[in-house]
Amino acid sequence: MTTTAYRDTAVPHGTIDAPDDYLHVTHTLRSWLLTTDHKRIGILYLIAITGFFIIGAIAAGLVRLALVVPDGSIFTNDTYNKLFTIHGVVMVWFFLIPSIPATFGNFLLPIMIGTKDLAFPRLNLLSWYIFMSGALFAMAAVVAGGIDTGWTFYAPFSTTYSNGYVILALVGVIVVGFSSILTGLNFVVTVHTMRAPGMTWFRMPIFVWTIYATSLIFLLATPVITIALILLVMERAFQIGIFDPALGGDPVLFEHLFWFYSHPAVYIMVLPGMGVISEIVPAFSQKRIFGYKFIAYATIALATITFFVWGHHMFVNGQSEYASMSFSFLSFAVAVPSAVKVYNWTATIHKGDLRLDTPMLYAMGYIGLFVLGGLTGLFLATLAIDEHVHDTYYVVAHFHYIMVGGTMLAFLGGLHYWWPKFTGRMYNEAWGRVSALLLFVGFNVTFFPQFLLGYLGMPRRYHVYPPEFQLLNILSSAGATILAVGYIFPMVYLLWSLWFGKRAPDNPWDAKGLEWMTTSPPPLHNFKTPPVVDFEPYDYALKVPERD
Amino acid sequence: MTEALAAGVGVEVLEQFESEAQQRRAGILGMWSWLLTELLLFAGLFLIAVVLRVQYPDSVHQAVAHLKFWIGATNTAILIVSSLTMSTAIELSRLGHQRLMVRAMLATVALGTAFILLKSYEYYVDYVEHMTPFLNRPFELADDRPATLFVNLYWVTTALHAFHLITGVTILVIMALQARAEGYLRRHQNRIEIYGLYWHFIDLIWIMVFPILYVIGR
Amino acid sequence: MNGIGNPLDIWPAAASASAVESDMLILAFTAVILLLTVPIFLAITYFAFRYRQGVAADRTHSEARSNLIELSWMIIPFVLTLFFFFWGARMFDAHRHAPPGAMQIDAIGRQWMWKFQYPGGQSEINDLHVPIGQPVVLRMISQDVIHALYIPALRIQMDVLPGRYTDMWFKADKPGSYHLFCSEYCGTDHSVMGGTLTIMAPADYQDWLSHAGSDTTLGAAGEVLFSSYGCAGCHKGDSTVRAPSLVGLYGKPVPLEAGGTVEADDQFIRDKILTPDKTRIAGYKQVMPSFKGIIAEDDLLRLIAYIKASGQKTGRADDHHSLP
Repeated sequence: MTTTAYRDTAVPHGTIDAPDDYLHVTHTLRSWLLTTDHKRIGILYLIAITGFFIIGAIAAGLVRLALVVPDGSIFTNDTYNKLFTIHGVVMVWFFLIPSIPATFGNFLLPIMIGTKDLAFPRLNLLSWYIFMSGALFAMAAVVAGGIDTGWTFYAPFSTTYSNGYVILALVGVIVVGFSSILTGLNFVVTVHTMRAPGMTWFRMPIFVWTIYATSLIFLLATPVITIALILLVMERAFQIGIFDPALGGDPVLFEHLFWFYSHPAVYIMVLPGMGVISEIVPAFSQKRIFGYKFIAYATIALATITFFVWGHHMFVNGQSEYASMSFSFLSFAVAVPSAVKVYNWTATIHKGDLRLDTPMLYAMGYIGLFVLGGLTGLFLATLAIDEHVHDTYYVVAHFHYIMVGGTMLAFLGGLHYWWPKFTGRMYNEAWGRVSALLLFVGFNVTFFPQFLLGYLGMPRRYHVYPPEFQLLNILSSAGATILAVGYIFPMVYLLWSLWFGKRAPDNPWDAKGLEWMTTSPPPLHNFKTPPVVDFEPYDYALKVPERD
Repeated sequence: MTEALAAGVGVEVLEQFESEAQQRRAGILGMWSWLLTELLLFAGLFLIAVVLRVQYPDSVHQAVAHLKFWIGATNTAILIVSSLTMSTAIELSRLGHQRLMVRAMLATVALGTAFILLKSYEYYVDYVEHMTPFLNRPFELADDRPATLFVNLYWVTTALHAFHLITGVTILVIMALQARAEGYLRRHQNRIEIYGLYWHFIDLIWIMVFPILYVIGR
Repeated sequence: MNGIGNPLDIWPAAASASAVESDMLILAFTAVILLLTVPIFLAITYFAFRYRQGVAADRTHSEARSNLIELSWMIIPFVLTLFFFFWGARMFDAHRHAPPGAMQIDAIGRQWMWKFQYPGGQSEINDLHVPIGQPVVLRMISQDVIHALYIPALRIQMDVLPGRYTDMWFKADKPGSYHLFCSEYCGTDHSVMGGTLTIMAPADYQDWLSHAGSDTTLGAAGEVLFSSYGCAGCHKGDSTVRAPSLVGLYGKPVPLEAGGTVEADDQFIRDKILTPDKTRIAGYKQVMPSFKGIIAEDDLLRLIAYIKASGQKTGRADDHHSLP
């Protein structure tokens, strides 16, 4: 089967734009802001979350700057607290959660299952506007004077003692939750009802599986944080007496409701990244993915187990000892499906025909950092170790290995992998490889010292710290500058490629999958002729031993 | 769709769908998914109310005694009847009786409005009786923390439900106006089915709210 | 001796046997984890060179999928790591149960300082002194938001909640000064809500106690409060109001009006003082007023110490409540 089966062969590729590709059918700003095309909405999200990433990254940079000195002399304690809160709130709710699902998911999910659009295109646009209005509330809170609660909003600090614009920020997060719910709903319905003829469940790419699992988490977990945050707003505004013990409430109840959502939210951030890696690794190994069904099942297993481990954030908050033991045990179980994925990726590379292009470098970096992040999670799930490193820099390092080393590298890897498809342009490969390497080095220099700091006993969210921790903090801040360069490079050369990059062929990587069978960029309705799927996923040529 | 549809009743297939059946399936599944999240939203409140009842039966008993049982009961009856009129509208839409269907929808609107008016009256009486611990006014049970929280939960839960009902009535009015147009059922019969799920769901939530807040431990 | 580290440390000082065991746990776990992951890293690196496009290599593979391989890399690592789950859980369990005879020190957290109250009535701000070899249990409560008391040298921490006592115990065995931190974010000056734990030889500790200045023990101070807050008016034997005597109450089961009993521990006594309506005692009319907002957390702990001591006077003399 040829890779151009679903493009109009009358238009020679690489010479002129297909006249009706989604980027060029209309040009006005209005046509973008009122679009119902899932591809354009994906791009709208990409632009929006890039903006929020820059805000969150600047806050992170200022946090690292403040920590160069141990005495907290660069900012006031209050300013520092607001900075790390902005960093946490913006990065979690306005970058990481929508990152891969809302951009790549929106753009690719319909194409990968061979349909024209999502089931509810107008709802999809509405989700983006809801997202932006939620962001507006959160940004208003920042501009008005900031909040100092941390992204976790623990009561009774957030309800009674904090002086910041907590309600404004909470409303922003609640509103963004609805955007997540509607996006998840759209994806679930699309996967269930819109698959092309022949696209059975086990012919779906792993990326679609992970987006589907993520969408289920959106539907099942987000309402719980919504109601918890609504009650938090009520408590702050009207003292209804639910979370503040001075009013007869229970602050631990908020922790339970918060983590019942926020632990699954970690998998909202992690699963799609695993999906991206599961696309990149076979493409650049030119080999079928090893253990397809095991990876698909492991995805669903992770999305299920994640609802039963929230208590591992509360081992030292006085919850029942036996609850803690159960949560600890279940958290160990998370390692099983995670290990399945890592071992299968490694086995996929084995005997492959490897090209170490930019996306593959990101993917290999991802595997290394995700393994380190995941396994330190296992340490944290060990009760006696958590008693020591809970709420220290060890935890900070752990989740940055998952969020930045994992999700962020997967996001950038995916962005490079699909960039030709999104934009119809090739980026500069040499610059791509250099920045992938810079990011990997910068990341490790920034965050590895934080494991040591945590074990030495430096608590998180500390502006003033004992002077003996300064050396490691300076090292970490130095790493952050390398990391910053690693982020700025792609922003520059990717933008540059939009105008000056080479025209991208339909399938620059010789990859399999429906998205590579249509033009780059795809036409308005994704395919010239509706596809019929008569092939397995990742049908790279087998190199069967000769004696068979 | 298992239900047989009369001739001239159907769905204008939207661009992204391949067939009417696909579009109907997507619409129904979408609404069920949404209702699932709504149920989870209310479930948090129900759970807290039930835990309060188990832990502090005396306090909750005191609070429940001050709720207006008969207004709640009447409202329950109103919503059950409205479910009936909505079901009638759906059945009429399948049979293609467009004018009658619009009347059934307007009857549902009327019942929904009656609920909201009665609820507003109840809120007014609550206000007059100082059943508003979240405001800065004297409150009889102020020393009893669980009772106070229960009354606050009553306000949060019923207000959230009322918000859903007001939204529902608004959408239904718009739909009823649109449905007067010639050929509506030929193009958009599925909207009636999908909306019906939402209306029944609001009723169902109230049918859970009523015993959890008003009835048990009276 | 100084347990506070220097800039080139990559490992913190350990001041208890339990801390040493924590270190062993994480080191052993790390060794097993390395055993499981280093092969992956080596394999990926090796494959990256061996199977790079253009390099001649045997690339033949079949589509046959070995379920045995999948199952073995699911089950074997899991079983290996479970050993550490049990180890960690056993230690955690031990950390939850203080040995009998542990010396109780009260810790009160508030924005942004720690107050410690000793059985002998001494109290300190942000400094904690303990003797080596003596199990110490910290009974902790917060006056405002959630804090957490964290002592890295002992490898332990515990949240300090408003409205609820939490415990943390340890037996220090290395004299020196060590950091103590608040590890749960609590507002503006969270990062300066710390202090120093000083671990001393028993003789030095006794010496320190006698110079720390206190005329009365915690229990005796509680006795004074028992009168000044008016508790004695009803709860003394010769009172006109029929209220239960509190002598010997501590640790005993109390029958409830609703049936069943509840143990009269610190939390029960605290709740009964602040929210007397919450639990009704069988055989007594609930007439006691609430003392919420009237009695501060440190005084509550003194009252509890008094009620506790009042029972022990009739029995064996309580050694730590009668310290000078």
